Amino acid sequence: MANTKEIQNRIKSIKDTQKITNAMYMISSSKLKKARTDLENTEPYFYTLQVALARMLRHVPEMEHLYFDSRDGIKEEDRRRGYLVITADKGMAGAYNHNVIKIAEQELAAHPNSELYVVGQVGRHYFAKKGVPIDIHFQYTAQNPSLHRARVIADKMLENYENGDIDEVYIIYTNMKSSVVVEPQMIQLLPMKRTDFAGVPADVFHEEITMEPSPKAVLDRIVPNCVMGYIYGALVESFCSEQNSRMMAMDSATKSAKEMLDDLNIKYNRARQAAITQEITEIAGGARAQRDRS
Amino acid sequence: MNTFYLRVISSNKIFFEGRVEKIILPLEDGEKAVLAHHENMVIATSIGEIRITTNKGEQVVGVVGEGFVQIVNNRVVLIVDSAEKPEDIDRVRAKEAKIRAEERLRQKESLKEYKQSEASLARALTRLRVTEKI
Repeated sequence: MANTKEIQNRIKSIKDTQKITNAMYMISSSKLKKARTDLENTEPYFYTLQVALARMLRHVPEMEHLYFDSRDGIKEEDRRRGYLVITADKGMAGAYNHNVIKIAEQELAAHPNSELYVVGQVGRHYFAKKGVPIDIHFQYTAQNPSLHRARVIADKMLENYENGDIDEVYIIYTNMKSSVVVEPQMIQLLPMKRTDFAGVPADVFHEEITMEPSPKAVLDRIVPNCVMGYIYGALVESFCSEQNSRMMAMDSATKSAKEMLDDLNIKYNRARQAAITQEITEIAGGARAQRDRS
Repeated sequence: MNTFYLRVISSNKIFFEGRVEKIILPLEDGEKAVLAHHENMVIATSIGEIRITTNKGEQVVGVVGEGFVQIVNNRVVLIVDSAEKPEDIDRVRAKEAKIRAEERLRQKESLKEYKQSEASLARALTRLRVTEKI
């Protein structure tokens, strides 16, 4: 059995760690609250945008546009895919980063001709360490997503898509399904799939819609907005999920620290008791020996 | 007076919701007013000022970013990336943004950067212009 000093040292170190995990739990829960309000505020925009785009596509289904061009001329193996991978800036969030990275790796294995655009330190370090080439100028933090950052990222993705550097754009992020369940997800950003929006049966009344200045000009405006909205939404969802995962991870860390402390306390008491008993026996034995001699 | 239902949605909030008489929108080539029972339309709007006359005759002014407006069945939805009330605008920040954008425009930039700087200059100028009136 370990001696009392050793056990005391362990108890102290676990208590210190517990303080840290507890503080991190508090921090992420307050950040989560803020991220949740952000998410709620942006939801109307996000959904209205999708509905509006869907409505327009219903009315002009035959429209040819760069953002809807699936580039069928390019062979499957020559297609260049760009993946926007959203990870966290820090670890200590359970499987949050791991889940996202796992999807990205699966995709990379299936389509070697891909490019990664990674948001967040953890993902960047991970892929840099593994020797996977990533865009090094793509330096964005996952903390406190802002509209400005989403716009810069969207501009970058759209530019690469328009230049033909990449033919398809995907986004891998973590979706907050409920307050307890977070789920990594991958969706295709570009080219936009028409079927995504064709949820309405064909026999409903179609009113005429005029587009000004021209359908192309309107789509030129809406689609980048939609892409930016998607990216912003994904950033906010991911940030929310990150805080949620960290909160849960830190909560369970604090709990298991408590269990360990309980365990160690019992051990400590036993060791102390054993030491006292031993001392008493020694003293009693010594005293008896003295008495016997006299 | 005929009214219609209007919603102005920006990326971080619902800026306006309710029945209105008229809305004036900023377009690429000037302004456009929309009254009740307008033809069904989708129009791209640019950075500028919107002026809303509500069914009670009140005036609501806002500074909006890029977006588009959808007019269907006497319902109007304006979707923009940002929308602010003039009184919420920080003039100092807008001035700084204007100077920054002007400095960037003087550098030799790529076309993309040029467009970005141009857009931020337009945003800053609109903010300054609208707040000057109050």
